Amino acid sequence: MRRTKALAAAATGAALLTVAACGGSDGPGEGGDGGEFEEAGETIDKDPDRQGPAPDIEGAQEGGTITVYLPDDPGPEDLDPTNGWSVTGNSIQQALTHRSLTQYARDPESGEMILVPDLAEDLGQANDDFTEWTFTIREDATWETGDPITAEEVAWGIERSFDSDTFPSGPGTEYTEHFFEGAEEYDGPYSDPKAAESFDGVTFDNDARTVTIKMSTTFPDMDYWGAFMAMGPAPLGKESDPPAYGAMPLSNGPYKVESFRPSEELVLVRNDEWIPESDPARHQYADKWVFNFAADPTQTDELMLSGNTESQTSMSASITSENYQNFRDTLGDRLVQQSAQCTSFLSPDYTKIKEIEVRKAIAYAYDYESIWNASGEVPGVTRVPANSIMPPGMSGKSDYQVDGEQITFDPEKAKELLAEAGYEDGYDIHMAYATGSPTTEAAQEQLKRGFEEAGFNVTEYPVPIETSLYTIWTDPDNKINKKLNLRGVNWCSDWPSGLTMLPSLLRTGATYNTAFFSEEEIDAEFEEIPTLPVEDQPAAWGELDQRIAEEYYPIIPTAFRNDLFAFGEKIGNPTGDGALGAPNYKDLYVAP
Amino acid sequence: MTDPTAGVQVAETTEGRQHFSDEPTGRRDKAIEGRSPLQIALSRLVKDKLAMVCAAVVLFFILVALFAPMITSALGVSTDVVRSCDVLECNAANPGVGYPKTGPPFYGFDAEHPLGLAPRTGADNLAHWVEGCRTSLLIAGSATLIASLVGIVLGLTAGFAGGVVDKIISFVTDFFLTIPFLLAALTIAPIVIERYSTGDSYATAQKVSLIGVLALFGWMGVARLIRGEVLSLREREFILAARVVGMPIHRIMLRELLPNLTAPIVISVSLMLPAFVAAEAGLAFLGIGVTGSPSWGQTISKAVPYWSNYSLYLIEPMLGVVLLVLSLNLLGDAIRDALDPKTRR
Repeated sequence: MRRTKALAAAATGAALLTVAACGGSDGPGEGGDGGEFEEAGETIDKDPDRQGPAPDIEGAQEGGTITVYLPDDPGPEDLDPTNGWSVTGNSIQQALTHRSLTQYARDPESGEMILVPDLAEDLGQANDDFTEWTFTIREDATWETGDPITAEEVAWGIERSFDSDTFPSGPGTEYTEHFFEGAEEYDGPYSDPKAAESFDGVTFDNDARTVTIKMSTTFPDMDYWGAFMAMGPAPLGKESDPPAYGAMPLSNGPYKVESFRPSEELVLVRNDEWIPESDPARHQYADKWVFNFAADPTQTDELMLSGNTESQTSMSASITSENYQNFRDTLGDRLVQQSAQCTSFLSPDYTKIKEIEVRKAIAYAYDYESIWNASGEVPGVTRVPANSIMPPGMSGKSDYQVDGEQITFDPEKAKELLAEAGYEDGYDIHMAYATGSPTTEAAQEQLKRGFEEAGFNVTEYPVPIETSLYTIWTDPDNKINKKLNLRGVNWCSDWPSGLTMLPSLLRTGATYNTAFFSEEEIDAEFEEIPTLPVEDQPAAWGELDQRIAEEYYPIIPTAFRNDLFAFGEKIGNPTGDGALGAPNYKDLYVAP
Repeated sequence: MTDPTAGVQVAETTEGRQHFSDEPTGRRDKAIEGRSPLQIALSRLVKDKLAMVCAAVVLFFILVALFAPMITSALGVSTDVVRSCDVLECNAANPGVGYPKTGPPFYGFDAEHPLGLAPRTGADNLAHWVEGCRTSLLIAGSATLIASLVGIVLGLTAGFAGGVVDKIISFVTDFFLTIPFLLAALTIAPIVIERYSTGDSYATAQKVSLIGVLALFGWMGVARLIRGEVLSLREREFILAARVVGMPIHRIMLRELLPNLTAPIVISVSLMLPAFVAAEAGLAFLGIGVTGSPSWGQTISKAVPYWSNYSLYLIEPMLGVVLLVLSLNLLGDAIRDALDPKTRR
């Protein structure tokens, strides 16, 4: 899933540089005032039988307004569920306004996220080889108008996701296009209205209340994909025509849109037509939600730290590292660390850096903590050392260590490895970095210093910060890209299956395979694992992750990402959503 | 040859004579002897206490800029990249994570780093301040030199030649005045990066392009001013006389016109310099200045978020820019007053 934060956009390119692992320092004053956080919910279970209403949160009250600040984050451009693939937009709309086939619920005891039904009565029924999925739509779910949601409307909403040209930034461009039958020929109802009449990849039966989706290939993860709001209903006919629908979509969750100004503000108010009994995971505690997009980070920090009346019912989706200490002292438990299910990588060019020793030497030459620190992260908090390709929270994630223990900055070891590979006199590294931001420049400075200490010679190619490094890394004809032998990539999972991580990064020819890794036997595994029995898949992905690292070490995981959320004094149940890497909007309330 | 300031010179000597009237005759004779307008202005400037203080401050900055490497090595600080976790607290469990392990803001004075360390990079603030001064003055000085040279040449040519040449040059001047400086700078920066990023000369290219941008959008004021002055001088008797005796044009320009333009040139240069220092810092703050070498603007842009937690970090470069720009401005004002007594308060 994409992160649309302005900073992250800059940092995505930079993020690779930005990101690295820290080797848990143990300096003086260890455990002073506890920088330890409880790991927020990680693994994801399924509970196909859960039904509404959602169990009450202990101590929760109705009423009040919750104000959410999203520093440096412009938020979604429109609210059309089919177009929503950003963490910010999805986390808000899925939790509060837009329902889909399935959804996640947070287990209050373990903090784990559980996949539960939403508009569907269960998590869907698949045929034996997972090429056809049928969802039964529950009877009592309603629109904000009070009209019931029909199977036809759900099928129509799913059919809209075939239209990549109309919804270019929607998740359908990836998953609908790759897994649904007919996606290759059918361009979607708006781009190809003639074919829409005869299209039968998504069918419905209004009387039996079922929606049936045919897959072009084995797709056992449809229940996870169903948790995207793009897999939800849309009103039939002209009412849902883009782009007007994106400005004021019809809600069906516990809240409806009162007003929306892109990059500025979104105001949600209670939807009185929402029936709690129809929804297994959402609550309707607060009367009103106000989301402030693109807030000023420093001002937001000041507000959250001030503890005044306004800040008590406010929360912020990120804080700056320069105020981390203040937040920890002032907010205590109300500063929540949430794993974002993302891994950052360095990608040595597999066609140019052929020796595994050199790739490992790069891993030892990367000065994890210093680079994080320079790029404005809090080492060990917002960035933690990574051991595997799959981030924590994914089913089957293996805790292997490719060299027996966590790789940390160790220039001597890097030199030894280089010598083993026959490069006693140094090794030339060519890499691009974003210039024009003090953050990325400072990080690059630290990276270069570490590399040089470890015996590498670094040639840097500055790229203006406005240009995402990905446009260079993913363009084979780019003249800078041709010179590079070290790139990077920053990847977040869309659901907790290795399917959304490993093939996207390491399949031959995959767009974000910036290492240009290509091994036939690994490609074969990518094809084979989705055909295994569902219960064996997580372990298989975990084993494959380990096998790739031990045999090839093609990409160097530098860090797992965490986000920090700051909650005001009167926000009840301050928690994060481990499935999306966002605040847990579903379960928040305003305490009296 | 006649001289527009000749009258002033006479008045000044008269004044001088009255002033020295009760002094020995020898001194008085000396005073009556030829003193050029510049000498008179200089003597006025020396009497201006504020101007002298400003001159001392400016001199200080110039010395710092000239001898930056020696100063930093004498103080035992350097701008070398250090491992940030060696000098900054990187353990999230400890208080002050992200801030220096020694010195401000959380600990006492550290003699090794008298002005403290920068968060994030762990760079020495003093070394960066000194080197930043060098960058600032180098860029502002070069840009001023180029801009005033271009302005003088174009202004002289336009004013003296008149006719079509004047029309063309005036049009170009007006055209450049209409281009928004910031917009142009923002556009040019990525082009330079694009062009030079793959070469070895990136840092130099960046500096040259910055000087170029500043000069490119700084010469118009001088050109207009000079052209106006030349227009009024052109018809004066001494120029006509020079033409009549057949003096070549370049000689008229250099020998007859230019000396009479000293005052406006000195004034515009002394006011252009601080404007460029401020502009350079401003561009660096916006992320389109130099990045290869330390600069005050860069430090300011990095330090802004630290205002409440580590104010010293922001105050240091601010003080540099404010002091230098203020002194240069006041000095420029004083020079103008000295050269042009009519505006004297």
